[in-house]
Amino acid sequence: MKAGSLDDVAVGSTVRVRDVAGGDPVSIRLLEMGVTPGVNVRLVGKAPFGDPLELEVRGYRLSIRRREAALVAIGDR
Amino acid sequence: MTPSPLTVALLGNPNVGKSTLFTALAGIPTRVGNYPGVTVEEKVGRFTHAGKAIDLVDLPGTYSLSPQSPDERVVVDVLHGRIDDLPRPDCILVVADATNLARNLFLATQALEVGIPVVVALSLADVADRRGLRLNVDELSKRLGCPVVRVAVPTGEGLRDLKDRICSAVGSPAPRPIPLDNGPPSASARPAAATEAIARYTAIDRLLDGITSPPEKAVQQSEDRIDALLTHSLWGTLVFASVMLAMFAAIFWLAPPIMDMISAGMDHVGDLVRRVLPDGAIRSLVVDGVLAGVSGTVVFVPQIALLFLFIAILEGCGYLARAAYLMDRLLMGVGLSGKSFIPLLSSFACAIPGIMAARTIENRRDRLLTILVAPLMSCSARLPVYLLLCGAFVPDQAAGLPWLPLKAVVLACLYALGVVVAAAVALLLSRTVFKGPPQPFVMELPSWRWPRPAVVLERAREASWSFLQNAGTLIVALSVVLWALMTYPHNEAVIEADVAALKATLDSQAAATDPQSADHAELIAQRAALDTDDGLEAARRGAAQRQSILGRAGRLIEPVVRPLGWDWRIGCAALASFPAREVVLGTLGVIYNLGDVDPGAVEGATALERRLKAARWDGTNRPVFTLPVALSIMVFFALCAQCASTLVVIGRETGSWIWPVVTFTWMTAAAWVGAFLIYRIGLALGW
Repeated sequence: MKAGSLDDVAVGSTVRVRDVAGGDPVSIRLLEMGVTPGVNVRLVGKAPFGDPLELEVRGYRLSIRRREAALVAIGDR
Repeated sequence: MTPSPLTVALLGNPNVGKSTLFTALAGIPTRVGNYPGVTVEEKVGRFTHAGKAIDLVDLPGTYSLSPQSPDERVVVDVLHGRIDDLPRPDCILVVADATNLARNLFLATQALEVGIPVVVALSLADVADRRGLRLNVDELSKRLGCPVVRVAVPTGEGLRDLKDRICSAVGSPAPRPIPLDNGPPSASARPAAATEAIARYTAIDRLLDGITSPPEKAVQQSEDRIDALLTHSLWGTLVFASVMLAMFAAIFWLAPPIMDMISAGMDHVGDLVRRVLPDGAIRSLVVDGVLAGVSGTVVFVPQIALLFLFIAILEGCGYLARAAYLMDRLLMGVGLSGKSFIPLLSSFACAIPGIMAARTIENRRDRLLTILVAPLMSCSARLPVYLLLCGAFVPDQAAGLPWLPLKAVVLACLYALGVVVAAAVALLLSRTVFKGPPQPFVMELPSWRWPRPAVVLERAREASWSFLQNAGTLIVALSVVLWALMTYPHNEAVIEADVAALKATLDSQAAATDPQSADHAELIAQRAALDTDDGLEAARRGAAQRQSILGRAGRLIEPVVRPLGWDWRIGCAALASFPAREVVLGTLGVIYNLGDVDPGAVEGATALERRLKAARWDGTNRPVFTLPVALSIMVFFALCAQCASTLVVIGRETGSWIWPVVTFTWMTAAAWVGAFLIYRIGLALGW
């Protein structure tokens, strides 16, 4: 799960979402917010203590926790 | 006969300028309340256009119509007309942020499926222009199959057109939903909502294909730079600390002068009443019961208004979400989220605005948890209690370091105590009672923009008004009940006997003490005061309070407070301070026959300090107030829930009377245990 998920991407890099795992409310909310397979996500920054993360997706800024980012599988672009 | 008004539901994501549009269209709401059964605010405003009266129902901001939270369920219920005394809307007005179209169209395309006419307002059109975002509005309207209107509230662009489109949309056939390619139903193991979300974004990408242009690079970069600074681990945290400090300082220092003015004004009204009404029960009821309650309510308004002014500004410019982002890790450790930070911080000034500020936390579990621990933050009402007792009973010496007075260390420890207990309780509750599936902290960080003054002022007005209206009446009623408990029964003969006994006690105590000591001088002074009119009146008031129901209850609970090192007088003062902690000093003044001392004034405080130091256990020469007793009182007041207004507000904000009862019970228990422990430790260490 760890390898190739959104929680260990370097700040400033842009990655392509491969899949959002699970069917629980958290992953559904991520999908509803536009983090869908195939979309590009840029990791804008991290809060103090490295959590949560600030993302740019579909032209807006979104903050999610590392735990939630771990649900997002990414593929190289 | 006037035709019944049309109902239009205002739907939109959070932070898209929905409140701004509501205020621009309908002005001040005509109806504010709660949806039945849930603490979700129901706001309705009315405007007329082209001879038609239109009721605009403001729905809570939501990202999706597949409800996950009770708040979101309310939105769906309103749209389908499942709420009592709210007709099914004739039209849905969807507010979509023109600067963030793809995600906003997610909700808009869901609205098209409800089966009611839809009008889309593209908000923040002026901001989109500045960023160089281009959009073919006519083509979008054609592809969506419903009217789309560009709206920019600052310039007034599109408002008239929007009203026209609403009026003509009502009664027209419902729009056709945008077809979604869900794929074969058995193709994946995903739940329906997940499959739908993916299919919907695919449809939205098709919808926007060829009619939008990306923002200009330069604008994008300048926004990035602001964000990079304000969410930076170091600089962002420094800016954050300064902003929070400014906000806290404003509530802590700007509000008190206004509060003093209100108190003085109310005292003036009290004096007037005193002159008009004859001395007796009615006058006492009006002045000490009703007016005291009204004054005790109105006095909170400056703090509430100021805090909500700040919150509205921070929210309006997009900083509120950044603040939550920066503080999230810290609060996540104790089972809360970053959104709890501002409510908890403002609780250091006063728990009432703090608890009300918890409205900004969308997640119900986090909101409740925040409300339950907020009263543990040492509010400004505890400060006079701390200052008087620290000043009088903590020795004047350095604590380890020569420049560090022990008094300051004790004061800091009292503040820390509240925070530590709050953290422990939050952690405990989130692991037990509030245990549940992990709550998503998926939060938009809205783009930076200038807050609208009209919206900011409306927010402050609304918060203050809802407090006065909902909590005010209850606080006044409670104040009257407590007045009765502190006034009755009233028996002149008992009072005379009490005063006579007091004189005898003082004489014998004075004879027993060393004539050279300060205590002796104080006893002589106290005895002499009883021969003056004011002194006698104060002693009579003390006697009257001691024989009232509450005074008797104080004696009754003596076995309970004895382990804390308290005599019945302290127990009585603690009981009588249920309306508000700061009252305890005034009550101690009355009980110790000083009359109404003003502990805020220097001479009041020193008189009370002297009287407390001279207080002896009944029939002995043992001082009541020692360092362990003073610490025990301070710890008790740090942890107890002696604030009727806070409990009333907890009841209002949680929509249930269980929570104030729970809060009062556990906080009082914690306060007792804390006071007991510090007293025993103090005795054991020989402080």
